[in-house]
Amino acid sequence: MKKLKKILLGMLITAIAGTGYGFYLFNKKPADVRKLTANYELTAATIVAEFNADETAANARYLDKVISTKGIVADVKVDTTGQATVFLDSGDPMAMVTCSFYSEEAVSAKNLQKGTEVTIKGKCTGKLMDVVLNKCSITQ
Amino acid sequence: MKKLILASIGFFMIHSSFAQKRYFTKTGTVSFRAGTAVEDIDGINKSTTSVFDATSGQMEFALLVKGFEFNSALMMEHFNENYMESDKYPKSVFKGTITNIDKLNFQKDGVYPVTVKGILEIHGVKKEVETTGSFKVSGETITSTAEFSVTLDDYKISIPGLVKDKISKTAKIKVNCSYAILK
Repeated sequence: MKKLKKILLGMLITAIAGTGYGFYLFNKKPADVRKLTANYELTAATIVAEFNADETAANARYLDKVISTKGIVADVKVDTTGQATVFLDSGDPMAMVTCSFYSEEAVSAKNLQKGTEVTIKGKCTGKLMDVVLNKCSITQ
Repeated sequence: MKKLILASIGFFMIHSSFAQKRYFTKTGTVSFRAGTAVEDIDGINKSTTSVFDATSGQMEFALLVKGFEFNSALMMEHFNENYMESDKYPKSVFKGTITNIDKLNFQKDGVYPVTVKGILEIHGVKKEVETTGSFKVSGETITSTAEFSVTLDDYKISIPGLVKDKISKTAKIKVNCSYAILK
């Protein structure tokens, strides 16, 4: 009898823990990239050059990784919804680094001056024309 | 005679430079809704690249599937790994034409209805789509909006039975772009 109770109790605890864990997973927000340590720290020129040289290899290395990129601000775009995007010059006229900002970080992006050096942290989503980082914030 | 030829070449060049007036954006927004009454499933991509030619009406969109942002970590994971297989199919592309481009006057501010027709590639599957939307011309900026639906099954995106009541069989896609003249 005692054994049965123990088993039942064990099952109950497992069930609660399982449900709890499921609930936790279900409600889990995507990681806040601002709080993550960068996997790679490099310049805008380097990351663009690596994608140009071998996109497959660069994808394998950088996709979904947090990248801290240093470069010169080529342009800042803020759309009507307040979404901010910063473009970093890579030295290659055909490809820049597009940094799509967290909406909470849009204000700091807006204040960036063209031609100044900046370090931006974000998650790499791949390369279209530019190498694209999203969930960006300014680190320096 | 030589002068005439040169003049006609010159005229042709000026003419073709007008003809190639293109509008461009790298910060287009594509969002989708594929939820049901049971659950909201929304994703948004804010770095969509798009270009169109103001004369021929040719239009293209490209986006990185991994660039979609979600409110839930699990949704993001399922979207990338199970449904879109973004490692295998990293990009989605649309290539088509604005079929009523001749009705648009880019010199005159205003809102114009547009019809766009072309091939949409999602999840490695190409399919023809047609939708209506609008172009708002204000000076040198064009703001575009369009909304249409795709059937997930058409793009070989299969939904497991367990979550069938949570995920809609069609996804509503919204496209918003703010174009500038490509110099």
